[in-house]
Amino acid sequence: MKYGWTGRRLVVDLPSRTWSVEQLSDELLRTYIGGRGLNSRTLYDRVKPGTDPLGPDNVLIFGVGPVNGTLVPGSSRVTVTALSPLTLIGDGAPCFGDSNVGGFTGPEIKFAGYDQILFLGQADSPVYLWIDDDRVEIRDAQHLWGLDTWKTDETIRRELGDEEIKTACIGPAGETQARLACIMFNRHRAAGKAGMGAVMGSKKLKAIAVRGTGGVPVARPDELLQVVEEAVKTLYEDPSALAWSRYGTPSLLRPHQAHGRLATLNYQRTQFDNWEKITADALAEQYWTATKACFGCPLHCAHWFVVGSGPYASYGEGPEYVCTGGFGSKCGNDDLSAILYCHSLCNKLGLDEQNTGSVLAWAMECYQRGLLTEKDTDLKLNWGNTEAMAELIQRIALRSDDLGTLLAEGAYRAAQAIGQGSERFLIHVKAQDPALSDGRVAKAWGLAYAVASRGGDHLRALPTGETYFTPEEAEEMFGSAEAVHPDGVKGKGRLVKWSEEHRAVADSLEVCKFVVRTSLMPPEWVAQFLNAVTGLDYSGDDMLKIGERIVNLERAFNVRQGLTRKDDTLPERFLKEPVPDGPARGRVMDLEPMLDEYYEARGWELQTGYPMRRTLEELDLGDIADEVEAMGRLGDLHIATSDKD
Amino acid sequence: MPVQKMLVVDVNKCTGCRMCEMACSLFHEGVCSPSLSRIRVYERHAGVEEITIPVVCMHCTDPPCVAVCPMGGMKEDEDTGTGVCADVCIGCRLCFMACPVGAISFAPPPNVKPLKCDLCGGDPQCVKFCQTQALVYVPVMQAHRLRAKKLLDHYVSRRGETPEDEGAAAYEVKV
Repeated sequence: MKYGWTGRRLVVDLPSRTWSVEQLSDELLRTYIGGRGLNSRTLYDRVKPGTDPLGPDNVLIFGVGPVNGTLVPGSSRVTVTALSPLTLIGDGAPCFGDSNVGGFTGPEIKFAGYDQILFLGQADSPVYLWIDDDRVEIRDAQHLWGLDTWKTDETIRRELGDEEIKTACIGPAGETQARLACIMFNRHRAAGKAGMGAVMGSKKLKAIAVRGTGGVPVARPDELLQVVEEAVKTLYEDPSALAWSRYGTPSLLRPHQAHGRLATLNYQRTQFDNWEKITADALAEQYWTATKACFGCPLHCAHWFVVGSGPYASYGEGPEYVCTGGFGSKCGNDDLSAILYCHSLCNKLGLDEQNTGSVLAWAMECYQRGLLTEKDTDLKLNWGNTEAMAELIQRIALRSDDLGTLLAEGAYRAAQAIGQGSERFLIHVKAQDPALSDGRVAKAWGLAYAVASRGGDHLRALPTGETYFTPEEAEEMFGSAEAVHPDGVKGKGRLVKWSEEHRAVADSLEVCKFVVRTSLMPPEWVAQFLNAVTGLDYSGDDMLKIGERIVNLERAFNVRQGLTRKDDTLPERFLKEPVPDGPARGRVMDLEPMLDEYYEARGWELQTGYPMRRTLEELDLGDIADEVEAMGRLGDLHIATSDKD
Repeated sequence: MPVQKMLVVDVNKCTGCRMCEMACSLFHEGVCSPSLSRIRVYERHAGVEEITIPVVCMHCTDPPCVAVCPMGGMKEDEDTGTGVCADVCIGCRLCFMACPVGAISFAPPPNVKPLKCDLCGGDPQCVKFCQTQALVYVPVMQAHRLRAKKLLDHYVSRRGETPEDEGAAAYEVKV
């Protein structure tokens, strides 16, 4: 295709240190768009059941989309996909994994002329990939092994002699294959979910360095200029966009506290007494020095911070709410400088903050309950002990003591090892931590966590519509005004379905979900971007259908790995323990009726959660229906509808 | 003809998003590419900060690029007053050498040609897509008022008033 896509996949064979370029067919690109969608198809085709996620048969895929590197707002994203070493389903099989990240490396990959980079096998010693437009080199990385992500980035740019080089690399945590390891893009942006850094480490791939001097030809330039101008205007008509552009995700802490859904002391509470010390206002007042943006983003939700003195002196970009909540309220810590220090440690060591905050909070609750004691560790893991938190983060990344080594496996595996009922207060879905919205209080979010294809995660659906849509809109779109009522049940399944599809499309164009979300840009908007860039003629409905195809494809991947309905569940704490105090006091999550509605709306069998043939065939996934049928895992039409009403 | 409006860059407001580069190359070339943009944003480390700096033609009133072009290809535009490059370029790069701020770049090979801001004929696209007003295109005298804003705010705040004179509301004569 002439516009938008490059139509090229770079395939890197690590054992032989060779590479080749494959053409991607127009049909494949039209069907899956790119980025996450195309990556998911590649993973489905390449990785079969029984594969070890940290073994040579797993693949590692970096994908960008047709609008990456254009004027389309938020067109910075990349999806990294592999079988996840962190998440678990069925009888202990690994689950689908991917992680989406912004920054500047994605567009650079596009400017260099590739839609996808596929890594096969494992190198026998550390290497890094150097892409200089058409020239590709697999270079020795022995001298980079052991360096943190910032030093790696700096060393590569210096030795290749070009400041404009963009990187993605792992830190020590990826090298030790900590299951919580992330991949850092340009020092500050993390592909954190699902342990992608550990997969990169298992391949002995320290980094990717990219320099692209090409561009993205646009089919209808005047139309794109006009559509984006209108989109940005619409974006800023939304009052939340103003808060977002000024304060970014840390602004979410205040409403979470106000609505009683702020993860506190490992979700024992949903209110944090000292919350005012860790808000976006406090950050702005004390530590933020500048506003930052990812490539092509009019929202600029990021910041530069400097902690100028004290034991936690540090600087860099950030933090996000995942960090202020995760290392703050969730760990009972109100020291903002320590939060920023933990954030810097994670970025440099290459640890995902979401899952790291989760293991810390869980370990602290173990300590509170006497399941981890001074016999197990020299660290006093009292709530809010920032010194112990910072030390433990380093031990996890380096696996430098017993507890660090255990926690590097992720909280789920650690809980299995420690036992004694510690798994009862472990906050996970499919062995991964969901986001910092309490799933008991925000019901659509709870349901979204339960069904997300990469395990505990809020971004698969990002069901912000639960608070944005009016009851009238909810009635029309999701069949019930209850969909937007905090205690509603009906309509939540359909709301989550719609949201998942919309987000899958954003992930496949590789535009930021915050841009699409904040103004609630409907699928028609997204189609307009895509059409102006590619010259094709997608409708809003086409977009949703492609989103639905991607969700079903990932579902089928997980079904093939062994997923059943019992995996689509929530932490015991969300299902059984009522919120003890605050505005949400008494709430628990009644998941099953919402799950029923969701499965029905999806065309999946109620008892098993398997997609039905008709569902898959309508989405042009007939070949996948044949495969899961041969495994006896195709949904049955006769038990696909509820007889309850 | 004298320049009526001027392009003002405020480095402190730049978020480094590169929408200016995208709008510029899209408008001029139909392609989104930093390499083809007349404005470039460069990142530099400065102590504990990372700053991004937009580099673009400052539109000299006596432009050396116009003076040195051996083909007479760089000409002053009547409406905007800035040098505009005609299609007679031989790729000698004298304009690149002569520019005192380094705001002229060259397209990557094989299509070597100078990339010089022409203010999009009077409606600069980079300004249109800059969300933080790090780039503005304003009449010269307004530009001075903007540039002096810090000093103006300083005196206003010394009088104990907010910059927007909110405190005056109580004394307002209602008619």
